[in-house]
Amino acid sequence: MKENLNALFCPENIAVVGASGNPAKAGYTILKNLTGIGYPKKIFPVNKSETEILGLPCSRSLSQIEDTVELVVLITPAAMIFDIMEDLKLRMEKQADIKVIICAAADYGETKTAEGIQRQNCLMETAKRWNIRVVGPNCIGVIDNVNRIDTTFVETHLPRNARVKRGGISFISQSGAMAASILMMGDSRPVPMAMNKFISIGNMADVDFIDLLEYFETDEDTNVIGMYMEGYPQGRLLIETLARIARKKPIVVLKVGRTEMGAAAANSHTGSLAGADAVYDAAFRQYGIIRAQTMEDMLNTLRALDAMTLPKGNRTFIYSQAGGPGIYCMDAYMEAGTMELPTIGSQTRQRLADSLPAMANICSPEGYADITASASVEQHVEGLRSVLDDPAVDAVIFITVVPTFLSRKALGEALKKLLQEEGYIKKKPVYLCIMAGIYVHEVRSILEDSGIPTFDTPADCVKTAGHIAMYQCFLQKEAVWNEA
Amino acid sequence: MRRNLNELEAGNLLTKYGIPMVKSAVSHSEEDAKEKAEAMDFPVVMKILSSDILHKTEAGCVITNITDAKQVKEAYREIIRNAQTHCKDATIEGVLIQEMAEKGLEVIVGMKHDPQFGPVILAGTGGIYVEVFEDISLRLLPITRQEAKAMLEETKLIKILRGARGTVYDEDALIDILLRLSDMALVNPLIREIDVNPLFLYETGKGAKGVDALIVTSDSDTGHPCRG
Repeated sequence: MKENLNALFCPENIAVVGASGNPAKAGYTILKNLTGIGYPKKIFPVNKSETEILGLPCSRSLSQIEDTVELVVLITPAAMIFDIMEDLKLRMEKQADIKVIICAAADYGETKTAEGIQRQNCLMETAKRWNIRVVGPNCIGVIDNVNRIDTTFVETHLPRNARVKRGGISFISQSGAMAASILMMGDSRPVPMAMNKFISIGNMADVDFIDLLEYFETDEDTNVIGMYMEGYPQGRLLIETLARIARKKPIVVLKVGRTEMGAAAANSHTGSLAGADAVYDAAFRQYGIIRAQTMEDMLNTLRALDAMTLPKGNRTFIYSQAGGPGIYCMDAYMEAGTMELPTIGSQTRQRLADSLPAMANICSPEGYADITASASVEQHVEGLRSVLDDPAVDAVIFITVVPTFLSRKALGEALKKLLQEEGYIKKKPVYLCIMAGIYVHEVRSILEDSGIPTFDTPADCVKTAGHIAMYQCFLQKEAVWNEA
Repeated sequence: MRRNLNELEAGNLLTKYGIPMVKSAVSHSEEDAKEKAEAMDFPVVMKILSSDILHKTEAGCVITNITDAKQVKEAYREIIRNAQTHCKDATIEGVLIQEMAEKGLEVIVGMKHDPQFGPVILAGTGGIYVEVFEDISLRLLPITRQEAKAMLEETKLIKILRGARGTVYDEDALIDILLRLSDMALVNPLIREIDVNPLFLYETGKGAKGVDALIVTSDSDTGHPCRG
């Protein structure tokens, strides 16, 4: 069956049933996204009344398409499912080529009405008979930036070259709206966040978390896996799958239903068993699965895991250009309780004292430096180099509020030179926060474009650095336990 | 069908799996109570044995620090009387005589079959305010010795255990108990729930002793989720 999932991410031609010429409809956006991302093979809009949409000739039905079709996207009103399945039978009897259906349309089993369930049963019975895998219903679809597929109806403003940038993050979302929002948030960063594969699974009538996790487990283009989840009926099996994969590839989960009322809301939404959150939480911790608390936290952590090497441990130095943000960071750091402040060696102290402004605070308290607003671009960078060179330091949180008299661009370029060109980012993670807001998007873009992640606030750095340190500690602990 | 083992049965089962519990005996008359108490060392604790009475202390069905035979007989009468007044229809299985354990650090250990995850083990700060403090750590079973230690390290209890107020408590004994509880749950999937609270933990080398225990069993293994 895994072969069929290949057709989900790399299909030989795609039919869009319910394609529309009306730009206000999802059936239009899907076609626009598919053509926009540059899907290299054939796209067949299926629409009874139109002859052409976005320059693509329309077919009246699935059975009338002469070419091979491996992937079908359904975006029709749910009541039409019976006729479409009849037509699909005709096609399969003749051509037997369809491998995957993405049912984007809603108003199926999730409504818990007799009609909705009947529609979902009709879809699933037909699919099973022909060994077709089904994604959804009630989902926004799939994106694959490597194979250039985008069957979602999420509006995007990204230029084409930014759209197909591939990253190592593969993402699974149980909610379509969260999936769409995560895509849009990722696109809104200083440099749009690149993903590898992205899928919204909706009702999970067939393809579910475990199918996709196992697919991503062996997918060479996937470095790190992200998940938004509300619940899954086989909690134990899910945890065992996650636990197995987390030893090889980091997994970041945004699981909602943390509170009793949140769980009640989850149960009435996707119709899935939310399960006791305390047990999920314990299991995530037990098996090294990273649990993000917010959408931002999840995106930041996925990005950092994809872009940087893992630290050797949890000794994380706070290197700040200004007192306030440094203290703000220190509070968040201590409250998180996930990392330890390193004690750097006397040589490093001397190097810092020699290179930084005289008024700089070096290691008071230990593991913390405030280089002050009088620091030049060179001092910013050389001090960071000294800290990164110290063997007691596993990672650095770097915070700067670039003073008005310094060139932000020059700072961005100098950091890029140290981290990317001299290769420091490949040795230890550096969580960079350049404050603040839209005023620093340009300098962040210089870094992000060269593959270095940046963060909005010091607190965001702490969250992500803490998750990653804990993950590394888990892997080390596992290794030691297995030896014993 | 689910069934609550009574305190004596629960205690005996836990003892069988190597989890140290206070000595208990059931008595069915004043005279019987006196004999059983004398066979233990005074002081003893006496309480009602009845699955129908959940909050025994509040019902006046627990009397502690009983030091001689005369007090045993009086306590027997009082407990039976209070039980009958408190809950007329309660089935009374007898009056329990228990060794009065030396007070230790109050810990809770337990296990519950989660409908989705199967057996989950629990450890943390025990006593009557367990739900208030919520200083509890959970793990899916099975667990290793290191995992048992790691779960204790997630609780605030660990600081007390390791000498926050001078006394260093018997962490190894507690870990042993968690591992035995784990074995007990895995060997007997029909045990749906175990609660030992409080478990008195003593200083290093002196072990622990469970004072109160609840076990819920089921006659079918329905809730066990599939394993991958």
